[in-house]
Amino acid sequence: MTSSLSFRKHAVTLLAAAAWLLLLALEPAAAGPIKLPFTDLHQVDLANGLRALIVESHDAPLIDVQVWYHVGSKNEVPGKTGFAHLFEHLMFDGTKNLGPNEFSDYVIRSGGTDNAYTTEDATVFWETVPSNMLPVVLWLEADRMRNLEITDKVFNNEREVVEEERRLRFDNLPYGSVVETLYAHAYTAHPYQHTTIGSMQDLERASIKDIQDFYDTYYVPNNATVVIVGDVDWHEAAVAVEEYLGRVAAGKALPAHAIAPEPPQAAKRVVKLDLNVALPAFVEGYHMPADGTPDAYPLRLAAKILSEGESSRIYTRLVYDQQIAVEAQSTGNFTEDPNLFFAFAVLNSGHTPAEGEAQVEAELARLQTELVSTAELEKGKNQIRRDFSLSRQTLQTRAEELGYAAVVLKDAELVNTELARFLAVTREDIQRVAKKYFVPENLTLVEVNPRSAAAEEKPGHRPAGGAQ
Amino acid sequence: MNRAPGRGKGTGALRRCSAIWSRLCGAVLILFLLAPPLGGRDYPPSVPPPKATVIPAPAIQVLPNGLQVVVVERHSLPLMTLRLVVKAGAEFDPAALAGTAALASSLLTEGTTRRTSRQIAEAIDAAGGLVDNGAGWDSSFLSLSVLSDQADLAFDLVSDMAESPAFQAAEIERQRKQTLSGLQVAHDDPAYVADTLFQDLVFAGTPYSHPEDGTLESLPRITAEDLRRFHTRYYQPANCILAVVGDISTPEAFARAAQFFSAWKNLAPPVLPLAAAPPRREERQAVAIDKPDAVQTEIRIGSLGVPRSSPDYLALSVANEILGGPSENRLFKALRSRQGLTYGASSDLVCRRALGAWVAKTFTRTPETLKSAHLALEQIKSLREHEISRSELETAQSYLVGHLALDFETSENVASQILELIQNNLPLDYWNRYPAEIMALTTGDVWNAAQRYLDPDHDIIVLVGNVADFKKDLKKLGHAQVIPLNEMDFASPDLRRPPGEAGK
Repeated sequence: MTSSLSFRKHAVTLLAAAAWLLLLALEPAAAGPIKLPFTDLHQVDLANGLRALIVESHDAPLIDVQVWYHVGSKNEVPGKTGFAHLFEHLMFDGTKNLGPNEFSDYVIRSGGTDNAYTTEDATVFWETVPSNMLPVVLWLEADRMRNLEITDKVFNNEREVVEEERRLRFDNLPYGSVVETLYAHAYTAHPYQHTTIGSMQDLERASIKDIQDFYDTYYVPNNATVVIVGDVDWHEAAVAVEEYLGRVAAGKALPAHAIAPEPPQAAKRVVKLDLNVALPAFVEGYHMPADGTPDAYPLRLAAKILSEGESSRIYTRLVYDQQIAVEAQSTGNFTEDPNLFFAFAVLNSGHTPAEGEAQVEAELARLQTELVSTAELEKGKNQIRRDFSLSRQTLQTRAEELGYAAVVLKDAELVNTELARFLAVTREDIQRVAKKYFVPENLTLVEVNPRSAAAEEKPGHRPAGGAQ
Repeated sequence: MNRAPGRGKGTGALRRCSAIWSRLCGAVLILFLLAPPLGGRDYPPSVPPPKATVIPAPAIQVLPNGLQVVVVERHSLPLMTLRLVVKAGAEFDPAALAGTAALASSLLTEGTTRRTSRQIAEAIDAAGGLVDNGAGWDSSFLSLSVLSDQADLAFDLVSDMAESPAFQAAEIERQRKQTLSGLQVAHDDPAYVADTLFQDLVFAGTPYSHPEDGTLESLPRITAEDLRRFHTRYYQPANCILAVVGDISTPEAFARAAQFFSAWKNLAPPVLPLAAAPPRREERQAVAIDKPDAVQTEIRIGSLGVPRSSPDYLALSVANEILGGPSENRLFKALRSRQGLTYGASSDLVCRRALGAWVAKTFTRTPETLKSAHLALEQIKSLREHEISRSELETAQSYLVGHLALDFETSENVASQILELIQNNLPLDYWNRYPAEIMALTTGDVWNAAQRYLDPDHDIIVLVGNVADFKKDLKKLGHAQVIPLNEMDFASPDLRRPPGEAGK
C-alpha cells in the first residue's frame, strides 16, 4: 500500500545477495518442545499421482496455494542449462484458455499476489489470495498444468526477459559472477555445477521443441505436489483439488534418476578472478551432505555459531576485532543432493583475500580442535527456534516449508518433527562434522581481486568510468 | 482480463475421510473421476464474494513523558517485537554532514553507558534476537525481535540503546569504516547509483537531496559531537513511538513500557520544519552516468509527487497502480510483456513527510536503452493525455481493496501500518474507511490526479550504463549531461568531483 524507492541501504551485502540467490534452499520447519503451533496435515493422493497437502489456519480470510513440481536445474543436461527457470516463466504465458499474463490478472483482481521461483531441485508456483478464490486458483493451476500453449513470439519474448534477469542478477552486478564460478569449479559431474539461471548461450539456443519435451516430461500431476494453507475447511479443499486437478491426465513415468553423483574431491581447488569491483573478496565452498541427513543439523548449528549475529565467531574476528572485512559470513546451501558449506567475506580496502581466508580457516579449525561452549550451542539453538517461528509468520512461508519438507525432504511431517533434530545436536556432533567436512581436499576457493587503485590514480591517466 | 466469469464444471466423486482417520492413516486416498473433454475455451469458476477483512485495532497509551506506546497482540507464535521509531531521519542531516542520522542509528547497538557493544551483541544473540536499526528519511528506528519469554530483556535493551548510546570513539571509527566500504561497493551497483541520483535531482535544493547513508566525502567529517547533538535533539520520548507487537498481553506491554521508558526525559522540543518544494524545472533533464563495463542500463524517470498526508494520495495510488503498480502496470505490459526489453518495470509513489516523488523504474540491455526510456515516457504521457478506462480503474481498485488482508497478515505488518498513520497524522480508523474511499474514486478523479502530477516534459531522467552505446541520440530525451561514474559526486552541485580527485 505504501511504497518507497528501494534505495539499497546496505549495498555491501551484494555478495551475500549474490550468494543467497543460489541458496534458495528454504529453511525447513518443525515444531518441538517450544510452543510452535502444531501443523495438522491432511494429505490427499489423487489417482493421477498428484499429492495435495492441506492445512487449516483461520487467522485471516486468506489462503496460500502452491504447486511444487519436482524439477529444478539439477534435472537439466549440459547444453540445456537454465531450462527449468525459463519454463517457470513460460507458465505465465498463456494456455488454450487464457492469453499471456491472464493467469496473474485473475489473482491480482482479487487483491492477491502470485509468483514463482526455481531452485536446483524444484519449481514452485504460489498464490496468496482471499479464501473465496480457492476454486479459481485451482482451476488456473490445473489449466496451466494441462493446457499450456506457447507461440514462437511469446517464447522469444520470454527468453529475452530471462536474459535480462540474468544480466540483472549476475552479469551487471558487482561480484555477480563469484558464486557461479565457485560452483563451476567445485562440481565436475553433478549438475549443481551450473546455476539455476543457466548460461546465456544455452538460453539463446533453446527451442520450442525443447520446451515442449520439458513440459511433457515434468509438468505432470505425478510430479506435482499441491500445498494449501489457510482459511479453508480441509474437506472442502480436498473436494476442490479433486474436482479441478483430478481431471488432469497422468503423465508418463518420470525418467529414471540419471543425475550423476559428484565424485569425492581429491585436492583443494583455487580460482582467481579479477573483477571490476572496489573491494577484494573470497568465497570458500566445502562439500557437505544433503539436507535432511543426520550431519546437516550439526552443520546448520555450526553456521549459526560461526556467523549468525554480531557475537558470532567469524563476525567477531574478521569484522569487529580485526576490522579486515566489511562483511563475513558462513552458511550452508542445503539441497536435495549434497551441496556446499560456504564461507565468504568482502574485505576492507588494503587487505588481501589471503588474510581473510587465514582468519576464516582459523575459526573452522577451532571448531575441530575445541568443543563449542554450552552457551554458544544454546545460543545457536535459540536462533534456530526463532527462525522456525519467523518462517511461520505468513501463509506463504508456512506453505513453502511444507512443500519443501514434502518434495525435497520427502517427509511432510518434518514440519512437526524437525526442530527436535536440531535441539538434539551436541557439542561433540559439531566437532565431528567440522573434522569430517572442513578439510582442504574438500575445498574450492574463489579469490576476487578488485580493480587496482594504483591504475586509477596514475597521474595523467584517468580511465573513464572506473573500468580497467 | 475483465471477462465475465464462467460456470464451475463438474463435480467429482470423492470419498471423504474424517480428520481423525486422516491423522491415523496419514493419508487420504481420493478416487477421482475424469471430467469429460472440454470443447472450446474454458473459464474459471465463479466464486462467492470474499469475507470482509477485519483490521485489528491497536491499543494506544501515552506515557507521562509523551512516549506513544502502540500494542498489537498476536499469540500464534512465540515471538515479540519492539520497534522504537524516532520522528526524525536523514531529512535532518546537518548541511554537509550527509549520513548523520544513519550513522547515529547504526551506533545504537554499539555500546551504551551501561553496556559495551560486545555485551549487547551477546545478549541479543543469546535470546535468539534479531535486531534492526537504521534511519530512513522521515524517521530513525531500532527494532528488536526476541522469543517471547525474553520480553524483559528486550524492553531493557531497547530502552538502554535508544536513551543512552555511548558514541564511543573506537565504535564510531569502526562503523564509519564499515559504511565507507559499503559505499565503495554500492558505487559499482548501477541500481544504487540510479536511485540515489534520481532522488538527488528530483528533490534538488531540499533536505532530501543527498544520499541517506552519506557520501565518501561527508562521512569522514561527522564527529562524535555531531552524533551526540543529533541524538540529543531528536531522540526524545515525546518525539518517539514505541510499538510492541506479538506474543505479549496488552496490560503487560503497557506495564513494561512504563517500567522501562518512564525515566526517559525530554529536553527542548525538536524543531521539525517542513521542506518547501523545489521550483518546477524549465525543461526535461537527462543525466547519464557512464559505466563502460555495464551490460544493462538502469533507468529512472519521474518528477515530484505528494507527501503521504496529501488529500490526493488515494487517487494517486490508484493512478500509480495503472502506470506501474503490482496490478495494472502499463509499464510492465509495454516493456516486458510486449517487447521483452526488461525483467522488471514498475513505478513508485515515494511519499515522505514533506514532499514526494513519482518515479518509473526499469532496466534493459544496453542497445535498447533509449528505446526503453522513450517507451516509459510514452506510458507517462499517455496516462496524462488519455482518459483511463473503467476496466483499468476497476482492476486497480479491486486489487487495492482485496490486498488489504495481506497488508495486515503479520503483527509487524499491523504495527507498521499503524505507525505510518501516527507519523503522518492520519486518523486511526483510516484503514477501516479505506475500502469505501478507494471504491468511490471515479476514472475522472484518478485521471485528474494523474494530470496534476505527471509532468513528462519536465521529468528527470537518469540512465546508468555504458553511455558510448547510446550517446548518439541521448539529446532526444532532453537537456542531456554525461558524467563518468568515477568522476561523479552526489553531494556536489554539478555532480562532479573537483578535478584531480577522480577515481576515489
